[in-house]
Amino acid sequence: MSESQIKLEKIDDFRWRIPRSYKPGMRVPGLIYADEKLLKDIYQDKALEQVANVAFLPGIVSYSLAMPDIHWGYGFPIGGVAATDIEEGGVISPGGVGFDINCGVRLMRTNLEYTDVKDKIKDLVYRLFSDVPAGVGSKGDIRLSAKEEKEILIKGSQWAVANGYGIEDDLDCTEERGAITGADPDAVSERAYQRGKAQSGTLGSGNHFLEIQVIDQLYDAELSDAFGLNLGQIMVMIHSGSRGLGYQICDDYTRNMVHCLQKYSITVPDQQLACAPVNSPEGKSYLGAMKCAANYAWANRQCLMHLTRLSFEKALGLPWEKLGMQLIYDVAHNIAKIEKYEIEGITKNLCVHRKGATRAFPPGHPALPEKYKLTGQPVIIPGDMARNSYLLVGTEKAQETFYSACHGAGRVKSRTAATKSINLNVLLKELESKGIIVKASGRGTIVEEAPQAYKNVNDVVDVVHNAGISKRVCRMRPLGVIKG
Amino acid sequence: MKNYEILEHTADIGIRVKAKDLGGLFKAAAQAIFALTAEKQPSRDREKHKVIINQKAASLEELFINWLNEVLSLSAVEAMVFEDFQISKIDEHNIEAVALGSDIKNYKINTEIKAATYHALKIEKNNSGWVAEVIFDV
Repeated sequence: MSESQIKLEKIDDFRWRIPRSYKPGMRVPGLIYADEKLLKDIYQDKALEQVANVAFLPGIVSYSLAMPDIHWGYGFPIGGVAATDIEEGGVISPGGVGFDINCGVRLMRTNLEYTDVKDKIKDLVYRLFSDVPAGVGSKGDIRLSAKEEKEILIKGSQWAVANGYGIEDDLDCTEERGAITGADPDAVSERAYQRGKAQSGTLGSGNHFLEIQVIDQLYDAELSDAFGLNLGQIMVMIHSGSRGLGYQICDDYTRNMVHCLQKYSITVPDQQLACAPVNSPEGKSYLGAMKCAANYAWANRQCLMHLTRLSFEKALGLPWEKLGMQLIYDVAHNIAKIEKYEIEGITKNLCVHRKGATRAFPPGHPALPEKYKLTGQPVIIPGDMARNSYLLVGTEKAQETFYSACHGAGRVKSRTAATKSINLNVLLKELESKGIIVKASGRGTIVEEAPQAYKNVNDVVDVVHNAGISKRVCRMRPLGVIKG
Repeated sequence: MKNYEILEHTADIGIRVKAKDLGGLFKAAAQAIFALTAEKQPSRDREKHKVIINQKAASLEELFINWLNEVLSLSAVEAMVFEDFQISKIDEHNIEAVALGSDIKNYKINTEIKAATYHALKIEKNNSGWVAEVIFDV
């Protein structure tokens, strides 16, 4: 991998600018949220170049943004945010969402204390591993008719709840109530339906996981109380996406939008940034299809949470309601959303791409449910399998990032480098010595996803907190990890 | 022997493939997908299945990416691992091929490749034949 040669302009300790003059064709500057420590890693790959490339997108507003977990992706950097002005010919890019549309994460609380379950973690992990389908191309027990498949694409989590995989309260605690409006099943190809078939209620593979965690640090007493969180409390985190359906939709529309570059006279330095105006027939069609995949992903995580609740019931002999297994929140971190922002005094409809970034709405935002109106939107940041994960909340200051924050730790080491340098048995022993039980369907996955392959999530979260674009509520550490 | 090289990428997997002709290049890249992801297991079910894969595109780069993504997509939909590819016709805009594979149950799947991307894509002809570099989203 080659080091970036970009010279960044320091704005303050947590903000760095790539000037427009870096590359002719940039419509806005780049803005990177990082401290000097994280910048050293960021400089090691091509992520900064990709931040500059995203600045070429027609209609892009303010900045091409990068969160402190950014790393080299394809087209967009992972950890990139870009908002385009729809009325000014702003574009939508399938590459700015990614193949795993609405890859996202949900966090569930429990009434359990660490001391209640510390001797049962292994049982719980093995039970979850057997009850929750995981791994490449895994298929679930949820079988659907063609009519139901279409219904999921429109109703998302609301379909899951209506069919017994959860309760109404879960919807309040899900971005878009688990079903974004405007999904158009007719914009989804037959192939995409086939590729997503039978994958509802499956975790998938790669960096997707299900974790049992314990809260080991509280940062804000008032916010912790508002969420009902205490030190030593057991939590569950689920990370998954839209599986094969999303991959195929991204593939179908990238094929199509490569031709839109010429049709709409758009110049981008990387074909993977292929895009079309949001208001063009191609843009509208992609948005309708993308929303289908987003709804599918929300339904998927809802079903995964249902399976998790049932596993806990079986393992602990109490109904999940008695175990206090309530959803805190579910957020997407690969998605494009139409949101209203005030730009230079004028309210505008923007298409906000979050490619490996989390929406972080502030207290009082109209899109938040009543229960989070005072706290701000829960922002869930998973780390690696040995260190920590976080719950934060959105802040008003995050308006400067189109209310976006980071989405995780961010990779620092390639999968091949991790595989070459890490011994699986040594790693498993290390994890066990920290009290972490890991179960995965592919042994290779554990090594590829080893903690050494990631930045330290604590450093990443320090930046978003100190830059003021989100506020820490609590920190968790993992106890049990299920990987695909 | 491996007929591809790995290119380092932070989050994903890049490969470089070389071949004497264009057909060989397309075949080597498609075979690399399964060499990277699937491990053959001892099995009695060795029935081979054929899947037709025809693609058209406006440019060679587009044809290459569409071909690889079609291979990935059909492999997922048919639940098959493709072991060989017979390419009957290829030029810069068209490919007609048959993929030969067997049920995914005969394999241990270690990694999932979601798609082939245009990012940092290279396809070049040199004195000894063709070389391509492509990054897969993993």
